[in-house]
Amino acid sequence: MSVKVEVIEGGVPHNKIMIAGLVSTLVCIYLTYLNAFTNTEVFSFFGGLAVVSALIWGSHTIKVLCSYGIGTGVPSAGMIAFGSGVIAMLLATKFGMLAPIVALVLAAVIGFILGYVSNNILNMKIPAMVQALTEMAVVGALTVMGFAALITGGFTFTGLTTSATSIMGMPSYGNSFLGGGLIAVAFLLGAIAIQHPFNACLGPGWKQDRMLMLTAECGFLSMIVAAVMSFALISAESAIISLIIALIGWFYTYAQYFVLSKRDAAAWLDSKPIPDTEGH
Amino acid sequence: MSAVAAKPQAGGAMNPTAMAVGVVLLIIILGVCWFVSPNLGLMALIGIIIGGVLIGFGTHFVPVGGAPAAMGQAPGIATGVAMLAAGAGLAGLFGGAWAAEQGMVVAVVTGGIGGGLMMAITCLMVNFVYVFGMGIPAASGKVLHDPITGDSQAEYKSQGTEGHGLPFVCFVGGVIGGILGGAGGTLIYLELLSLYEASFPTMMNATLAQITPVAVSVAGMFAVALFLVNAVLTAYNITGTIEGPHDPKFKRWPRAIVASAVASALCGFVAILIVAM
Repeated sequence: MSVKVEVIEGGVPHNKIMIAGLVSTLVCIYLTYLNAFTNTEVFSFFGGLAVVSALIWGSHTIKVLCSYGIGTGVPSAGMIAFGSGVIAMLLATKFGMLAPIVALVLAAVIGFILGYVSNNILNMKIPAMVQALTEMAVVGALTVMGFAALITGGFTFTGLTTSATSIMGMPSYGNSFLGGGLIAVAFLLGAIAIQHPFNACLGPGWKQDRMLMLTAECGFLSMIVAAVMSFALISAESAIISLIIALIGWFYTYAQYFVLSKRDAAAWLDSKPIPDTEGH
Repeated sequence: MSAVAAKPQAGGAMNPTAMAVGVVLLIIILGVCWFVSPNLGLMALIGIIIGGVLIGFGTHFVPVGGAPAAMGQAPGIATGVAMLAAGAGLAGLFGGAWAAEQGMVVAVVTGGIGGGLMMAITCLMVNFVYVFGMGIPAASGKVLHDPITGDSQAEYKSQGTEGHGLPFVCFVGGVIGGILGGAGGTLIYLELLSLYEASFPTMMNATLAQITPVAVSVAGMFAVALFLVNAVLTAYNITGTIEGPHDPKFKRWPRAIVASAVASALCGFVAILIVAM
């Protein structure tokens, strides 16, 4: 039995994944803006798709960085990605429609400076460090923004702090994405989903398509949880649409990941016991 | 350069040029903050920087063993810096947040005790598992005698390992690290909370009582984010594992102080811009 290798070593180049991930994430986040145009909330699910594409990009960035053996474990990369990303994202939400672009630029600046700090001041001297930390801050910011769009249907500061339901004519702030602390759940859903795939797939048998499929699976799994949370803040129909899309995506990617795992599983060669040449 | 060739990472050496650039960057950020928000914002930013530096410095005390510790081949707690610092710091942060209404000093002390308690329990249970579960004594590989108790270490160290278990000095280091980390995290949270509680009502045109959940949540999220950034930067500084204050790697702390100050100033400034813009 031979192991069929479908992707050559290295697979799709990182820059291609980066550009595809960036463009699809931004497009998906902006598609949730259709909510404001059509005055509905049914397009919120695009936020979840933005999360999945950003995570796929981010997990490949983590692969690029952690191939150098930074010595601190893969999860730390996910933590710094979201730690720096969520800061940029929160400020960017104040810019209304420009929010995703501002989040991108601001996160890139923060990530670049953090990359300089770790590479030069802390003397890490890893060639990919600055670019990787820049990318990961952007991924963190856009992922949390995608979760915000999925859960609330929008990504502006007012939308994230103010609930649509009002109590006795006063707007309610506690029942919102920020006021209700849902952002903390979104933060960790993303941070775990971004670091797990490379942590699980690393090693000599690493295959790019298998790791990215696992990332998509983790992304959709997080999207299921976020879609359930969105029942609290957007209309039930919109939340059900998000939930169904997340479930379908998760079943598909999980099945695909299973297929890829079987493909890459170590082959067992049936070599038989040592032949008994003497005697009979 | 291949991944293997890049393996020998951060040495103990300092990079004076980069340190100078870091200090200049810090002063620039402080200046811009003074320009944007002279009173409230600058005070908050200074508090955030002190908190960040406390976290970065405190993390050096924590005995981080990583994967070798899980196999009983190196002293320390068997997980990564980011996880340990986040565990201790967030425990302290939650403890301090409960006491936020009782003033700065009480809250910061409560946060420190919360973090220290968390690390004390962790160290105790880790040693319990090492001694009674894996059957190994506690011995340090980096020093011949425990700096605090003076106990001899070499006789208890297995050959081919760097030591194992949690000697007394590691335990004390862990508790000190937890106290510093918890206090730093709480300080960041308190500074941001007071800033947001002062600014959000006018910004969002609502009463303080209405706005409190948002202020608490945003300040808490920023504190967690700043904590993780500082903890991971420190993890990069010590490249994975450290035994505690007696470890030679501990001498790298000046680099982490500058790095934490720059990172905290940058992230804290962005957090202040939310209300200053």
